[in-house]
Amino acid sequence: MLVDLIQNTLDGLTAGAAYALLAIGFTLIFGVLRRINLSYGPAIMLGCYAATWFHVQFQVGLLVLAALTLAATVLAGAYVERLCFAPHRDRSAIAAMVASFAIWMQLEELATLVLPNHLYAFPALYEGGPLSLGPFTLRAEALVMFAVTVLACLALQRLLYRSRFGLSVRAVIDQPVAARLVGINLPWVFVRVFAVASALGAVAGYLIVASAGQVTPMLGMWSTLKGMLAMMLGGLGSLPGAIVGGLALGLIEAHSQWFFGPQVRDLTAYFLLFALLALRPSGLWTTPRHG
Amino acid sequence: MSALLEVKDVVTAYGKIEALKGVSLEVQQGSITCLLGPNGAGKTTLMMSTAGILRPRSGSIQFAGAEIAGAAPHAIVARGIALVPENRLVFPGMTVTENLRAGAYQRADKAEIEAHIERMFARFAPLKARATQLGGTLSGGEQQMLSVARALMSRPRLLLMDEPSLGLAPLIVDEIFRIIAELNKDGTTIFLVEQNAHMALKVANHFYLIEQGKVTFSGDPGSLAEDEVIRRAYLGSARA
Ligand SMILES: Nc1ncnc2c1ncn2[C@@H]1O[C@H](COP(=O)(O)OP(=O)(O)OP(=O)(O)O)[C@@H](O)[C@H]1O
Ligand SMILES: [Mg+2]
Repeated sequence: MLVDLIQNTLDGLTAGAAYALLAIGFTLIFGVLRRINLSYGPAIMLGCYAATWFHVQFQVGLLVLAALTLAATVLAGAYVERLCFAPHRDRSAIAAMVASFAIWMQLEELATLVLPNHLYAFPALYEGGPLSLGPFTLRAEALVMFAVTVLACLALQRLLYRSRFGLSVRAVIDQPVAARLVGINLPWVFVRVFAVASALGAVAGYLIVASAGQVTPMLGMWSTLKGMLAMMLGGLGSLPGAIVGGLALGLIEAHSQWFFGPQVRDLTAYFLLFALLALRPSGLWTTPRHG
Repeated sequence: MSALLEVKDVVTAYGKIEALKGVSLEVQQGSITCLLGPNGAGKTTLMMSTAGILRPRSGSIQFAGAEIAGAAPHAIVARGIALVPENRLVFPGMTVTENLRAGAYQRADKAEIEAHIERMFARFAPLKARATQLGGTLSGGEQQMLSVARALMSRPRLLLMDEPSLGLAPLIVDEIFRIIAELNKDGTTIFLVEQNAHMALKVANHFYLIEQGKVTFSGDPGSLAEDEVIRRAYLGSARA
């Protein structure tokens, strides 16, 4: 029982690490643009598909695959920004969200056009079996996932608090009019924030498909759902909240699967989100901003 | 003297409603020019149009001989204009020091920026004690000082100020006006929006009265019309 509990916690934290990465990307975009980008996941999916296509054609190595995923996702993210968010900057948030939904469909079509099978194999990070730590087992991918997430968070923290670009991002999140008044070029910040968010999403996406050993077009919807859920659990627009929300989502899923069975796993997360929105709409983690 | 800022026939609208209906005025190099007018006259709209946050529908705004109407705010900052906006708009989640650093966003001279921040702390003593405090936790007067100091960090040639005394205690208002006079003596041209006409006319070299989106009067302080202008700035004569 206790062994199971700890094992589930380990599994939950591993999945949660990936969710946290997805949620951070989502939150960055939301914090800066005050817009929900539904195409966030599909852009990641397209990035993974581009890498898969190269793998199918040329049998490239792991590092090349990772780099390709990153580059293609950032490109897809920039495409989404130009098409959905740049034209609607001063206009309706709903229009931008609907546009991002239309682009979602477009990106999925594109992926299935280039690689029509439902499922493609993706080279695994590590070929050996799971590592055992006493009674517990841990996949090597899980360790990589966790380490990379921690590194990505530290890098982001550094970027946001130690660089000029970070200062501009925080200024735009904090008080957009004042940010423009001090001379920050808003459109340029938006493009770069999309690139950073997409890069984080690409890292998450790559690790997820490499752990699963396969990629399907469903990755797009899956990433958007998990990222959005984790972001909302943690509180819209809060970066520490995204990490907390991601880990919480992973833990909730892992434990509810053990208690109630795999069918109930997703349902539990949705139910908790519903309860949270009703009881504490600002999320688990609230920052005293916009006071 | 020559005009540093020349506004000609500027029309700015919110949707169909024209808030500026062809405003023309000049701010002389080295002057303190004051814009007076009742609530809703269009003062903030003119400041925001000059800073590039709002885009004029027609007309021209020339700064140091170059056309800036419709330019992006960052391009206008680069030319040497900074706005202390209505309601201060400090960055609430950033420390006082970070607020000042953000004010210097377009500058590349890192060491000089830090020295400049120290000079700001010397000039605005209350800010020094709060250097690591978040902007949103400052008092109204402190936020106003921070907003002024932040604008100065870009080393503007023209400082636009939108009601810097709004909501402040009389002692702090005196302090703000003392600072305005000081900045002007150091060579910064100042274009000031004020409801507090008595105080504003004490420091200004020239003033304009704006009512319902139009300049209706201009003159020098001390002229016979002063009392009438003050009355109209508070009440808005054309309203009746
Ligand atoms: N965002 C907006 N949308 C629609 N109308 C607006 C908006 N902002 C201002 N207005 C209108 O434009 C006119 C001018 O407003 P503005 O804020 O420039 O006045 P002001 O002179 O600064 O007034 P105050 O002294 O109260 O600050 C007003 O009639 C106001 O109602
Ligand atoms: Mg105003």
